Amino acid sequence: MELITGISASSGALNAQRTRLDFIAQNIANANTTRGPDGRPFQRQIVTFESQLLNASGAGPGNGSALSTVRVAEVSNDPTPGQRVYDPGHPDADEKGMLTMPNVNIAHEMVDLITASRAYEANLSVVKNSRQMALKTLEIGR
Amino acid sequence: MSPLGSALPVQSGALRSPWETAPLREAPAARAPAGPAAPAGAGFGDMLENLVGNVENRQTEARSVTRSVLLGENPNLHQSVIAMQEASVAFSLMVEVRNKVVESYQELMRMPV
Repeated sequence: MELITGISASSGALNAQRTRLDFIAQNIANANTTRGPDGRPFQRQIVTFESQLLNASGAGPGNGSALSTVRVAEVSNDPTPGQRVYDPGHPDADEKGMLTMPNVNIAHEMVDLITASRAYEANLSVVKNSRQMALKTLEIGR
Repeated sequence: MSPLGSALPVQSGALRSPWETAPLREAPAARAPAGPAAPAGAGFGDMLENLVGNVENRQTEARSVTRSVLLGENPNLHQSVIAMQEASVAFSLMVEVRNKVVESYQELMRMPV
């Protein structure tokens, strides 16, 4: 039984957006990492979402329709090649003195960060609103 | 006198008949619902107990989620807050139900006898 309706959908969305924020943080943190565990430069990781049916049996008691929430489908590597810079003094540079930087674009990541944090806030507002609706409903009896 | 006397027993019988037959008739009828009503009477207590138990479960759940967040086992802060909010709404619902029950009890007690 759900007292605050629709909250599990919002909860899943908050979860997904938080995971996305985590990966954006990871991308920004590794914007200059030229060597990963495999010896290659860091590759930007992208989070993909997919919708997930909450109540597969369809219209349940109380819920008008089958709600679906969101979950992280997969975390994939961005395959675009990283920028190559000339830095012969760098220990990770090849024999020609060229160094492959991670394919992280800080500007892209900042835009993604703003989008993710605004999406998180939007879901928080939904939670806050549905809680207030539940409390207002309880005020009927007063 | 006799019409009155004859009328009186009739009337008293007519008066008595609902009073006498009603308990007689309602005794099984009251017992038949009392059969389910005795569990239903206990059912109301059960329902209240379920309600309080439900609220208690939600609070326990909220506490355990908050605990796991604080211990660092669960990174989802919002789950803890949402669980607390759900527990708070459930508690408010319980308080509302109690207010209603107490209100109706007082309304019954105000009935002029």
